[in-house]
Amino acid sequence: MRGKDVRLDKVMIRFGDATAVQPLDLTIEAGEFFSILGPSGCGKTTILRAISGFIEPTEGRVLIGGEDMVGKGPNQRPTALIFQNLALFPLMSVAENVAFGLEARGVSRADRLKRAQELLDLVALGGYGDKKPSDLSGGQRQRVAIARALAVEPSVLLLDEPLSALDLKLRQHMRTELRAIQRRVGITFIYITHDQGEALAMSDRVAVMSRGRLEQVATADQLYAEPATPFVATFVGEQNVLRGKLMRTIDGIATVETAVGRVEGRLRAEIGAGAEALVMVRPERIALGGNAGNSVPAKLVARHLEGPSINLDCEAAGQHFMVTMPNGPAVRDLPEDLVLSFGRDDALVFAEGALANG
Amino acid sequence: MSTATESPAARLVLNIYVGLFCLYLFLPLAVMSAAAFNAYPYPSVTQWQGFTLEWFVALAHDQRLLKGLLNSVIVALGVIAVSIPAGLAGALILTRLSERSGTFLYSVLVSPVLTPGIILGISSLIFWREFGVPGGLFVAVMAQSSFIASYAMLLFLARLQRQDRTLEEAALDLGARHTLVFRRITLPFLAPTAFTAAVVAFLQSFENYNTTVFAIGGEWTLVTEIASRLRFGLSPVINVVGVIFVVLTLLAASAYVVLKGKPKR
Amino acid sequence: MASLARAYGKLLAALICAITVAWVLVLIVVPIGAMLEQSLWWRESGGDITLSIDRLYNEIAVIELDANTATDPAKRAAIESTLEQKRTEIATLEAQETNPPKMYGLANFTRMSSLHLYIFVRTIFYALLVTLLAFIVCYPIAYAVALASGPRKTVILTVALIVPYAINELLRVYAWLMILDYRGVINGLLAWAGFIDLDAREWIPFLENPSAVFLAMIYTYVLFMVFPMVNTLETLDRNQIEAARDLGASTWRIHRRVIIPHAKPGIAVGCIMTFMLSAGSYSVPVIMTRGQGGDWFSQLVYRQFYESNNWNMGSAYAVSLLVVCTAFILIMMRLFGVGLRDIAK
Repeated sequence: MRGKDVRLDKVMIRFGDATAVQPLDLTIEAGEFFSILGPSGCGKTTILRAISGFIEPTEGRVLIGGEDMVGKGPNQRPTALIFQNLALFPLMSVAENVAFGLEARGVSRADRLKRAQELLDLVALGGYGDKKPSDLSGGQRQRVAIARALAVEPSVLLLDEPLSALDLKLRQHMRTELRAIQRRVGITFIYITHDQGEALAMSDRVAVMSRGRLEQVATADQLYAEPATPFVATFVGEQNVLRGKLMRTIDGIATVETAVGRVEGRLRAEIGAGAEALVMVRPERIALGGNAGNSVPAKLVARHLEGPSINLDCEAAGQHFMVTMPNGPAVRDLPEDLVLSFGRDDALVFAEGALANG
Repeated sequence: MSTATESPAARLVLNIYVGLFCLYLFLPLAVMSAAAFNAYPYPSVTQWQGFTLEWFVALAHDQRLLKGLLNSVIVALGVIAVSIPAGLAGALILTRLSERSGTFLYSVLVSPVLTPGIILGISSLIFWREFGVPGGLFVAVMAQSSFIASYAMLLFLARLQRQDRTLEEAALDLGARHTLVFRRITLPFLAPTAFTAAVVAFLQSFENYNTTVFAIGGEWTLVTEIASRLRFGLSPVINVVGVIFVVLTLLAASAYVVLKGKPKR
Repeated sequence: MASLARAYGKLLAALICAITVAWVLVLIVVPIGAMLEQSLWWRESGGDITLSIDRLYNEIAVIELDANTATDPAKRAAIESTLEQKRTEIATLEAQETNPPKMYGLANFTRMSSLHLYIFVRTIFYALLVTLLAFIVCYPIAYAVALASGPRKTVILTVALIVPYAINELLRVYAWLMILDYRGVINGLLAWAGFIDLDAREWIPFLENPSAVFLAMIYTYVLFMVFPMVNTLETLDRNQIEAARDLGASTWRIHRRVIIPHAKPGIAVGCIMTFMLSAGSYSVPVIMTRGQGGDWFSQLVYRQFYESNNWNMGSAYAVSLLVVCTAFILIMMRLFGVGLRDIAK
């Protein structure tokens, strides 16, 4: 199996009056594990269905391996889709399910069942061919769905939140397994999820979407450390958000007047003095005491023990700060009055804009 | 028999009422059945002249009734052949149309169910005469199918509403052509309903009178033949037909209860 | 259409559409249209035309007499041309006499005799009465079946209702005929008890009373009233009843305020089906009355087709019945606030 690249060329999708996907360009490399991450209703499933051929883009083109897919139905594209509910055929045996794609290609019964057996072995379900999907557990069904999709030797495997129905333990196990399968077969995986943990853990690159727009396409590390927009900054991981007015910018370091005083941070937007600005600091980048560039006197309101770490809820001039510290002797018996400090590099300054959770 | 929310007195009254209602339903059938075994040549249970099976023998030699039975079966099979595909096609269209644009088509397709049977018979009779087809078995098939197809469609619609669309999409995505998807996914899913619909269609057709009597012309089915006998004189042979109906129905109902009562795997 | 092709492929979509269109046209719309058309025309009866032809022949005879006496060639020619004119007139009329022309209009409806109109109105009234009675009889049954506890009881009750339903309609009517006939079960029992003497024809003529038809008709169509009501009542949350009782409502009030409003769609469907079936029933009156009781409208329709052989008149009668049934359905839908999709279940 060889992966193919997928290119969305000025793709826009509209249902009636509602625009589900704003015009966007996106290139997914061959053999890449690519995730599209976003809250429900952001348009990610629509994009997936446009790639697999269940809907035609209103404008623009979908190219797979450089070939224009216009007018090609889902049964004519080199893609295979793993559905959110898996969509295993309940009236067929597991082996027949896996062999179905080959049946559609006119492969003889003996050959396709032999191939199905190989694939079931691959996903460690060798002895389950004669069972019905309803006799299997959630994780096993998951693997049948993967085997069924791989049977047609797709160049691109599309996955629509296939792990969402599983419990937490199994989900984490399946993440590793999916990643391993992708490495083994080497084809392009496009993975749709609203769960940032899944996207960050498995993907080579992640696209973050919001309201039908692409917010950022980057590696997991880049998304976390260098978010491009306030939405990405707040959707991926936690943030303390301070609202204020941009005073000045010197060498990329912006000074913002906020309720807790002047705060300095790296400017991530093209705005000038006087503009409304957002300052974001991750809870784990804030230290107690010291002088790392910005320091804010605050009162400790509550402590939330998480096990290995602890979250401190602090307040300064009506502004709440969440501070995450490793659990240990240093965070026991804290005084009520604290000084929070964070470096200029750890604070990011954005133009006022939409955040992930309100 | 009743709910725990009633007072005991109300429950007693309700139970008595239900009992009387069951009597009302079954007593006439019992009377009719009993008369089939009475040697008295006029159907009666009050003038009992001894047990006999001679009316069963008479039925076995009654050529017109037997021919009617054959015609009934032919018509019923014809109705199945017409109404199952029609009902299925209508249901498939309606499940894919939006609520708004589907409502008009839906109204047209269910309207025969709400139309008096004699009118379906009359309109078919007039329509087919234009093509030189006089009343007969063919027109009866067409007239009955017009409303039996609606019943079939309603059954298919109910089933399709419970269908998981992603199954068809998954099959398409795996490279299957639409015909294969239909054959391997949609039809197997609908097969139990098609069977039910065929049974319902057969029964509806077999026992239909009001539509058939207008459409049948000079031919006859078992039911129209019974009706014309009833108009001129009563004979215990008709009671024998009734007994056979009752026995067959009871057998089918018991089979149903036994099957339904079985615990599921 | 586009979504259909996407869902089933072009070939299947075309086939599905073709079958549905054929169903709509061949089985539903065009036959009804043909019946409507048939009801809107008639052929002028021959009587008047025959009279005109006779008159023309007389005139010709008179003119011919004139022609024989006339000597002036000019006058003679004029008479000849009048004669010619009269003869062509006769030819057209005679053609019409053997094959009268179609006339379009509402005459088939307006010509309904007052007796037939009376029967029509009475049939509608009887059908309404049957519907009302069936509702009163069925409501407690539907309530008991729908709220019966225990799956076994529900199965038994359902079977008890379905078995008689599955027996042929005619045979169910016939069973009642046997009971109510002159020498039927009831008269037989009365004779056995010594109240009447059958040999002296002292029987009670139940069949000559319209209530015999009522009884059999309710018996025949009762389950069309029960099943829709059971369907809606089964979805009623019993806690609602208990909550109402808990709040001190009487049984009557609970039915009026909680149960009946919930069962509305089912009641509407039951009433529509029962009315439609009884207004259009041919089997029950034809068997029960056997020419001894009053006619129902359906019997008139049948006679127009198969005895008077007047299909135009018969179609007009059928159309009238259809109009009344449609109106009833629309009124019930409006009154009970239900849509067509609630009806067909």
